[in-house]
Amino acid sequence: LLGFKSVNSCSKKQVALKRMLNFNVPHIKNSTGEPVWKVLIYDRFGQDIISPLLSVKELRDMGITLHLLLHSDRDPIPDVPAVYFVMPTEENIDRMCQDLRNQLYESYYLNFISAISRSKLEDIANAALAASAVTQVAKVFDQYLNFITLEDDMFVLCNQNKELVSYRAINRPDITDTEMETVMDTIVDSLFCFFVTLGAVPIIRCSRGTAAEMVAVKLDKKLRENLRDARNSLFTGDTLGAGQFSFQRPLLVLVDRNIDLATPLHHTWTYQALVHDVLDFHLNRVNLEESSGVENSPAGARPKRKNKKSYDLTPVDKFWQKHKGSPFPEVAESVQQELESYRAQEDEVKRLKSIMGLEGEDEGAISMLSDNTAKLTSAVSSLPELLEKKRLIDLHTNVATAVLEHIKARKLDVYFEYEEKIMSKTTLDKSLLDIISDPDAGTPEDKMRLFLIYYISTQQAPSEADLEQYKKALTDAGCNLNPLQYIKQWKAFTKMASAPASYGSTTTKPMGLLSRVMNTGSQFVMEGVKNLVLKQQNLPVTRILDNLMEMKSNPAIVFVVGGGNYIEYQNLVDYIKGKQGKHILYGCSELFNATQFIKQLSQLGQK
Amino acid sequence: MAVDITLLFRASVKTVKTRNKALGVALGGGVDGSRDELFRRSPRPKGDFSSRAREVISHIGKLRDFLLEHRKDYINAYSNTMSEYGRMTDTERDQIDQDAQIFMRTCSEAIQQLRTEAHKEIHSQQVKEHRTAVLDFIEDYLKRVCKLYSEQRAIRVKRVVDKKRLSKLEPEPNTKTRESTSSEKVSQSPSKDSEENPATEEHPEKILAETQPELGTWGDGKGEDELSPEEIQMFEQENQRLIGEMNSLFDEVRQIEGRVVEISRLQEIFTEKVLQQEAEIDSIHQLVVGATENIKEGNEDIREVPHL
Repeated sequence: LLGFKSVNSCSKKQVALKRMLNFNVPHIKNSTGEPVWKVLIYDRFGQDIISPLLSVKELRDMGITLHLLLHSDRDPIPDVPAVYFVMPTEENIDRMCQDLRNQLYESYYLNFISAISRSKLEDIANAALAASAVTQVAKVFDQYLNFITLEDDMFVLCNQNKELVSYRAINRPDITDTEMETVMDTIVDSLFCFFVTLGAVPIIRCSRGTAAEMVAVKLDKKLRENLRDARNSLFTGDTLGAGQFSFQRPLLVLVDRNIDLATPLHHTWTYQALVHDVLDFHLNRVNLEESSGVENSPAGARPKRKNKKSYDLTPVDKFWQKHKGSPFPEVAESVQQELESYRAQEDEVKRLKSIMGLEGEDEGAISMLSDNTAKLTSAVSSLPELLEKKRLIDLHTNVATAVLEHIKARKLDVYFEYEEKIMSKTTLDKSLLDIISDPDAGTPEDKMRLFLIYYISTQQAPSEADLEQYKKALTDAGCNLNPLQYIKQWKAFTKMASAPASYGSTTTKPMGLLSRVMNTGSQFVMEGVKNLVLKQQNLPVTRILDNLMEMKSNPAIVFVVGGGNYIEYQNLVDYIKGKQGKHILYGCSELFNATQFIKQLSQLGQK
Repeated sequence: MAVDITLLFRASVKTVKTRNKALGVALGGGVDGSRDELFRRSPRPKGDFSSRAREVISHIGKLRDFLLEHRKDYINAYSNTMSEYGRMTDTERDQIDQDAQIFMRTCSEAIQQLRTEAHKEIHSQQVKEHRTAVLDFIEDYLKRVCKLYSEQRAIRVKRVVDKKRLSKLEPEPNTKTRESTSSEKVSQSPSKDSEENPATEEHPEKILAETQPELGTWGDGKGEDELSPEEIQMFEQENQRLIGEMNSLFDEVRQIEGRVVEISRLQEIFTEKVLQQEAEIDSIHQLVVGATENIKEGNEDIREVPHL
C-alpha cells in the first residue's frame, strides 16, 4: 500500500539529500562515529532545493565544512572530498571541468539535479582525462530532485527561472510555439522528477483546452517512454510494491490558473497565508524589519530604529506546524499561552537553583542532594527544550506582531470580510465605492485587489457609467489600471469557454469587535480588529478535486499550471482534514502573493 | 529515487579515449593516463594538517575502544560479587579513570595545538574556514567519546552514594528521627514489635552508636567490601526480627482469608433464602390482593343494605 510515509515528500527529500551528502550511501547516525568531512558545491537551483529542508546546522551535522556556490571564486582545498549538486547546464559543466583541471579537491562526487545528457557527460569525461583526474571522480548520480519541497504536502517547481514559467510567460499573447515548448518542457521535467522521487506513476486528469492540458500530454508521454524501457525504468525496484499498477496509483490533477484569478488576489486571514501576503516570505524564510518595541505608535508614524531579522519557518518549528493554518486571532492567543507556560517552567528551574544553593553545605543532606540532583538533572536536560521553546516564542511574537501591524494599518480584516461576501454572493452592507474612496482603508494595491475580485466574481458586468465611476475612484486612490485591462480580456475569453467560477454559498461569521484578545500582559492588542471565524468554503480548485476524487485514489496531487498561493493550499488542507487516511499534495509552477500577481497582470494589461 | 550513473561515466571515459585516439588528439595523460595521474598526484603536498588531524582522530578512536572494552566490567561490578569473571576492583577502576583522563587531556591539547597552527601560512579564507570546521568536528568527536567516560563514572559515583545511604540504615530521607543514636528512640521500638526479645534491642542500639562514626567517613576505601563482625551480628539480629514479623503477618493473612471465605458462604445461603422467600411472598401478595378485593365488595354490599 502506498502508505503515508511514502507520500511525505519533505522527509523523503531530506533523506535523499542526506544520502547524497553522505557520499551516496544511506546515512546512519552513530554517536561514537568518527567525523568525516567534505565540502558542498551547489548552484542556485541546488541552494533553493536544500535551504528549505536542511539548516546550516544540519549541514554541519552531515560533516560539511564549507558550502559554496559553483560560480564563485574557490580556492584549492587539499585532501577534502567535494560533493556537487547542480543542474546539468552548459555553464555549470564548463565550470566543473575547470575545477577538475585546477585540481581543487581530492575527490569529486557529482550529483545532477535533473538527468544529464550523454554528450555533457562525455564533456566531463574529456576534462577529467585531460586533467588526469578520472579516478578522482568517485561517483556520478542523477538525483531527479528538480523541484522545491516547501512543506510535507506542498512543492513548487523552481525559483531561479520562475520568470520563464510564470503566469505572464504562459499567458502573454506574443508567445511563440517554440517558447511555449520550452516552458512546457521545463514544467514537465520537474513534474517527472517529482514522480520519480515519489516512486509512483500517476493517473493524470486535466482541464481541457488549457496550458494544463499541454503539460498533461507531455508528462504522460515522458512517463510512458520511461516505463516502456523496462530495464532502465525509474519506476521499478523496491520503492514500488506489487500493487503498483492497480488502484494505488496517485491521482494528478493538472489545473490551469485561469479557472480562478480571484483567489490569488484575495486578502486572507490564516497565519501562513498572511505572512506570505504582507511580509517578505520566501522559500520558508521570512525577512522582517524589526521595529523597536511593541509600543503603539500613532497611525502613520514610523518607528525610528529598524533592525533586519530573518527567520526560518520549518517543519521543526512545532508552533508553526500547529498554527500555520489557524485564523490570526487564534495565533495571537496561542503565542500568549506558550509564553505563560514557558515562564512557569522557567520559574521551576530557578526554584531548583535556589534550593541547591541553600542546602549544599549540610552534610547530613546527602540523600536530599541526590533527590535534588535527580530533579536538577532532569531540569538541565530539559533546558535545551526550554531554550528552543523560548526561541520559537520570540520568533512568533515578532512575526505575528509584524503581521498585526499591517492588519491594523491597512484594515485587512475589513477587506477580507468584504471579499468573502463578494466571492460567496451574499449581500454587501457597504458600497464598494465607499471602500475604494476611503483614504484610511488600505493601500492602492489593496483597493485594486478588491475591485478586481468584484469584477471577476460579478455575474453581471457593471454598466459603462458605473465602470467609469469605479475607474475614477481607483485612479484617485493611486491605482494603476493596467491589471483591469487584462482582467477584462480574460473575463471575455472565459465567458466564451465556460461559466465563471463560483465560490460556494457560506460566509464568514463575524463574532463582533474585540477590544482585547487576552488579559493584561498580552503582547497583542487587537483593539478594533474583528475576530473573524472562517467557515470552510471550497475554492474552485478544491471543488475540482472534490469532483474527481474517488474513494480509491490516494494520494491526490493538485498541480496548478500558471502559479498558486498559500490560500489555495490551506483550503485544500482544510478540505482533506475531515477525510481519514486521505492525503493531498499541492504544487504549482510558481508561488506568488497578490503583489507579485498584480504586477504580472499589470504587465499583461499594458498595450 | 537517484540513479547511479558512475558506470555510465566510466564508459564515457572509454568512449572519449577511443575517440581522441582515433582523432589523434594528444592528451595530457594519453594512454598511460592512470600512471600519469599517480605521478601527478604524489608531489602534491599531502598537507601536514590533514595527516595530523587524522592522527588525533585515530587517538580518540583508541580512547573510545579502550573505554568500550572495559565498560561492561566497570559498570557491572557490584551486581554479581559472586562471579569471578568480570569482577573489577576499585583500584582497577581508578586506574581506568586516570588513564582515560590523561588520554583525554592529551587529545585536547593536540587539538588546541592544531588550532593555533592551522592558520599559519594560509592565505585562503576558505581553507581557514574549512580547517576550523574540521577541528570543531574533531573536538565534537572527543566530547562524544568523553561522554562515555563521564556516564560510567557517574554510575559509579551514584553506586557509592547509594551504598553509603543504605549502610547508614536510614529508611527514608524524610524520617530523620531514626538517624539519631539516642537510646530513647531506639527503645521505643520494642512497644511495636511484641515478639521482640528485649535483650536484642539493647544490643543493636549500642552497635549503632559504635558503628556510626565509622560509617560516617566518606570515600574511604576501607570497610566498603567487607563487613565488620559487629555489623554482621547486627544484621543477623535484624534478619531474625524481620522473619518474626513476616511470620506473624502471614498468620494474620491466613486468618483473614478464612473469615472472608466464611462470609462469602454465608452470603450464598442468604441469597438462597431470599429467593425462596420470593415465591412465598408472591403467593401471599396474591392472597392479600384477593382479600382486599373481597373486602371491598363486601363493604359495598353492606352499604347497599340500608337502601333496601
